[in-house]
Amino acid sequence: MINLRRYTLVRNTILVWMTVVLFAAFLLNIPKINILEHTARNLYFHVPMWFTLMAAVFVSAYHSFQVLRSGDIVRDIRALQAARVGAFFGILGLLTGIIWSKFTWYVGTDVWWNFDPRQSMVSLQLLIYGAYFVLRGALDDPNKRARIAAVYNLFAATTTPFLLYVIPRQMESLHPGAEGNPAFSEITHPIMRLIFYPAIIGFIGLFWIMYTQRVRTALLKNRVSHDPEL
Amino acid sequence: MNWIQGSWAVLQKDLKLEMRNRYALNMLLMFVLSSLLLIAFAIGQESVSERMQSALLWIVILFSASIGLGRSFVAEEERGTVLLLQLNVPGSQVFAGKLIFNFLLLLAVDIVALVVFALLLNMVIENWGLLIASLLLGSVGLAGATTLLAAIIARASNKGPLLPALLFPLLIPLLLSVVRASRAALSGGLGVSGAMGDLQTIILFSGVVITAAVLLFDYVWQD
Repeated sequence: MINLRRYTLVRNTILVWMTVVLFAAFLLNIPKINILEHTARNLYFHVPMWFTLMAAVFVSAYHSFQVLRSGDIVRDIRALQAARVGAFFGILGLLTGIIWSKFTWYVGTDVWWNFDPRQSMVSLQLLIYGAYFVLRGALDDPNKRARIAAVYNLFAATTTPFLLYVIPRQMESLHPGAEGNPAFSEITHPIMRLIFYPAIIGFIGLFWIMYTQRVRTALLKNRVSHDPEL
Repeated sequence: MNWIQGSWAVLQKDLKLEMRNRYALNMLLMFVLSSLLLIAFAIGQESVSERMQSALLWIVILFSASIGLGRSFVAEEERGTVLLLQLNVPGSQVFAGKLIFNFLLLLAVDIVALVVFALLLNMVIENWGLLIASLLLGSVGLAGATTLLAAIIARASNKGPLLPALLFPLLIPLLLSVVRASRAALSGGLGVSGAMGDLQTIILFSGVVITAAVLLFDYVWQD
């Protein structure tokens, strides 16, 4: 079904790529910025995690759409695993963001959670995935579960874009690129961008490895539990 | 039987059943009254800011919707009438009938919640038009999302507390907009012109949610 040699090649390329990115992220010299200092290196980890979550949301919604179109249960496994790995990266991104901002933007205050638009949006996306997992747990028949979970996933995907419009009107953001703040490319040194963009590719590649591995494991488990003769 | 007649038949059936025992309506009103009294007792004599007033009002409406409206499809399963509906009426007409029925229930909730809240918390309403518009439009969006999710939980094996967990994350954009619009209606003055943007968001949100719900409903409804 899948070309195993090509899969291994792509996987190993990503692993090497990610290793190089990690070394560069910690070892390369970066310009000294007030307050941020060496925490600026978190840029290579925190921001790519958001990109990964976004990619995962798209992959999950796409496969949910395919469940409804074709009724193929494999698509349901793909949608679920993309959501799970995406939620994992979302939690990591949220945590790195909270810790990073506590000791830089909000240093000297007791604020941990500060209703930043992006923080609020990702916590809502995580809530939606939480509800998605709970809903799956309440459905027994695999075919019915595939269909109904897909409906919820797609329905949630139609409401979340509103957050992009509604939330920034209510809360202020310190993130670069938000309303009134300088764009990302203006305040970031070229050498940091040299590592940052490969880091995004590396993280999305890492997501792809975790996601495909989980899908393959789930497919094997499925086959074993549904055909006891095998 | 054309589309409007079909939807009207579903709505009429639900209205007739509701008039016989008034179960959903009574439960909703009891929930609204008791939660409002609870809030009023907990707050006591203190004066509450407009922002808190509109937030509390909408949280009560949201919770009662998630508790009362979840029954619309579960009741069909319990009575064993799902098959009959599936055979006689196309899915979109069932959805439209249920949507309008849920909207009517929500209107009753809105009226009771607003009157009791205004009395208990000494609410001063500066701009009636804006408040009524935000309540009406907010209820349309709320009914749209709740009707689809009610159909979803009717399919689940463990139906009880599932609806609030599924509903609330989806309704945050709506909640933020209606709370802002009602706050502007309560405080009046400058906020009113800014609230037009919120009303537009609510209309857009309701339109998108109902369109998506109509498209997705058949996948939940048909076996």
